[in-house]
Amino acid sequence: MLDQLGNGLLLGIIISVASVALSLLYGVTRIVNFAHGEIIALGAIMTLFFSSPVDYRVLFLDKYSPLGYNFALSCILAVIVCGLFGALLEICLFRPLRKGNVGNIAVLVVTIGLSIFIRHLYLLFATGKVQDFPLELQRRQTYLFFDMTPRNLNVLIAGIVVMLIFGFLLTYTRLGKAMRAVRDSEELSSVSGINSDNIILITWISSSMLAGLAGIFQAIINDVRWNMGFLILLLIFAGTVLGGIGTSFGAMVGGFLIGILVQVSVGLPFMEGHTEAKNAVALAIMILILLFRPQGIFGQKERIS
Amino acid sequence: MKISNKFLFAVFLTGFSIYLVFALNPEGASRILLNLLTFAGIYGLSAIGLNVHFGWTGLLNFGHASFMGVGAYVTLILMPHAAGREGEITSTGLPFIVALIIGILSAALFGLLLGLPAIRLRGDYLAIVTIAAAEIFRLLVRDLESITGGVYGIINYTENLQQYRPNFINNFSESLGFSPSQAWVCLVAWVSILFTVLFLKRLNNSPWGRALRAVREDEDAVRAMGKNAVWLKLQSFMLGAGIAGLSGVLLAFNYGSLETTVFVPLLTFYVWAIMILGGVGTITGPIFGSIIFWVIISETDRLAFILFENANGQQLAGVRFLLVGLLIMALMIFRPSGLLGKKEELLLDVK
Repeated sequence: MLDQLGNGLLLGIIISVASVALSLLYGVTRIVNFAHGEIIALGAIMTLFFSSPVDYRVLFLDKYSPLGYNFALSCILAVIVCGLFGALLEICLFRPLRKGNVGNIAVLVVTIGLSIFIRHLYLLFATGKVQDFPLELQRRQTYLFFDMTPRNLNVLIAGIVVMLIFGFLLTYTRLGKAMRAVRDSEELSSVSGINSDNIILITWISSSMLAGLAGIFQAIINDVRWNMGFLILLLIFAGTVLGGIGTSFGAMVGGFLIGILVQVSVGLPFMEGHTEAKNAVALAIMILILLFRPQGIFGQKERIS
Repeated sequence: MKISNKFLFAVFLTGFSIYLVFALNPEGASRILLNLLTFAGIYGLSAIGLNVHFGWTGLLNFGHASFMGVGAYVTLILMPHAAGREGEITSTGLPFIVALIIGILSAALFGLLLGLPAIRLRGDYLAIVTIAAAEIFRLLVRDLESITGGVYGIINYTENLQQYRPNFINNFSESLGFSPSQAWVCLVAWVSILFTVLFLKRLNNSPWGRALRAVREDEDAVRAMGKNAVWLKLQSFMLGAGIAGLSGVLLAFNYGSLETTVFVPLLTFYVWAIMILGGVGTITGPIFGSIIFWVIISETDRLAFILFENANGQQLAGVRFLLVGLLIMALMIFRPSGLLGKKEELLLDVK
């Protein structure tokens, strides 16, 4: 059971970063974003696009990508592209919907349509087959109680550092305060001189950048697939709900818990020979949490009905 | 009954899309049309069930595929079939109609089971819970290989329905070059739609139907009138799930072999697209929506061949889903009431 702990932490960091992004967006805009998974996949696909050496069929470039940038640079560029994509979504789609007073449920359905649309764009024009980042293979090593490759350990540390910095920014900067103000009441914050449109735009950008980062992590740990975001989306919802939707710290902890639960449940006695069903365990836990403590571990009661 | 312009427009559009099938396919149009109408009937039925959930009661159900799946699996397992890697044969079983009724009741029961806890949740949470429950169902079915055949699925069950195929279907199919078994499934699907629509029309005008719509409009008011809003929601969940169960069984008979991959979330989204296209909250809307939707779906294969020279199966499916996604988005943004729906009857905001 313990040997799965390392895998659990790695799945946990992916879900955690993605959950923080989803939770931030939900907190400020009240949008349950089903297209979140597609932004995650965009991070991975763009990194592949910027970094891949010859002989990959990525985007419209037939057969090879001529870029072949350094991997770290590619990651940064990919995260920036994700941020721009988030801004594009907000400006071209969600801002007009908000101004047109389209209700939450309609927007939720729109994000589902968007998710299906973008996902199949990836399938058709980006990467129809499973691909790996151009990184050399590494051997697993033992750190304390868990086994993982040095690169994955770096991913874990980088993810935690990014989330801590993000949490710090959200708590202590003017921008973070403004975000939380818009989250609590868009009208009241407008009255106090906060430009809520700008804040929501910045929220979309930062949420999308975090999501893109989560996608890069997922691709480093596993691989790049066109539907990688959708495969993990429900686990991200589970992490967000477990921690308390709308709370960043909760989403971070909830994401790790879900990741560890999913991987450790493989070692449970009744799960023997049923490893395919491991995601069902996490989803069942999410449903139970919603029933008995719908505000999650760290959420506040007023957020639920 | 007064026939509205909207209704005429829907009929016209449906007729036009059927005409398009003939215009675009000089050869074999009738065979394509049969295939398309069979799918349209089955998915339309499912969308009618979803409309009871979302359109009538305002329940945001994104796990519709699981209700279809429960109906299909329970019915098939109760009848003679073969399942699993080795194709293990179960030669005894209930007659089709008994198994079907148990299947539909199981789907309704699953609706109740899922509804009981989920009903207390607010709209967007309900969406997440239902989609998660549907995934749990699918993962479990895939895992319980000894009963459901797991990834290998269930086969050799179509005879259970086909043995009742009347003779006139055979003669009719022969003269038109149809597959008689599909023609029979198609007929059964559309007869089911007819009865479901008649049944729902009656319900809709009954005090029960009015109470249901009142739940959607204002739950507190329903409570104040002494009605049990939670029980009403649960009844709606069961009714819609039962209808979905029936459509799931028909889907299984149309495919000829049943695998868990049928019941992925995308199936639910197909049904959502049909419901929105036809008109949320209407009874007959999904029928028109379904036919138009399937004409779009089956004729856009050409688009795939324009985009890619030798489009493979993955690319064909990709282009289809691309359009489904676009359709859902565009409808929800520009015409959320679809063909027949009334804008004031739409539930678009979280209560």
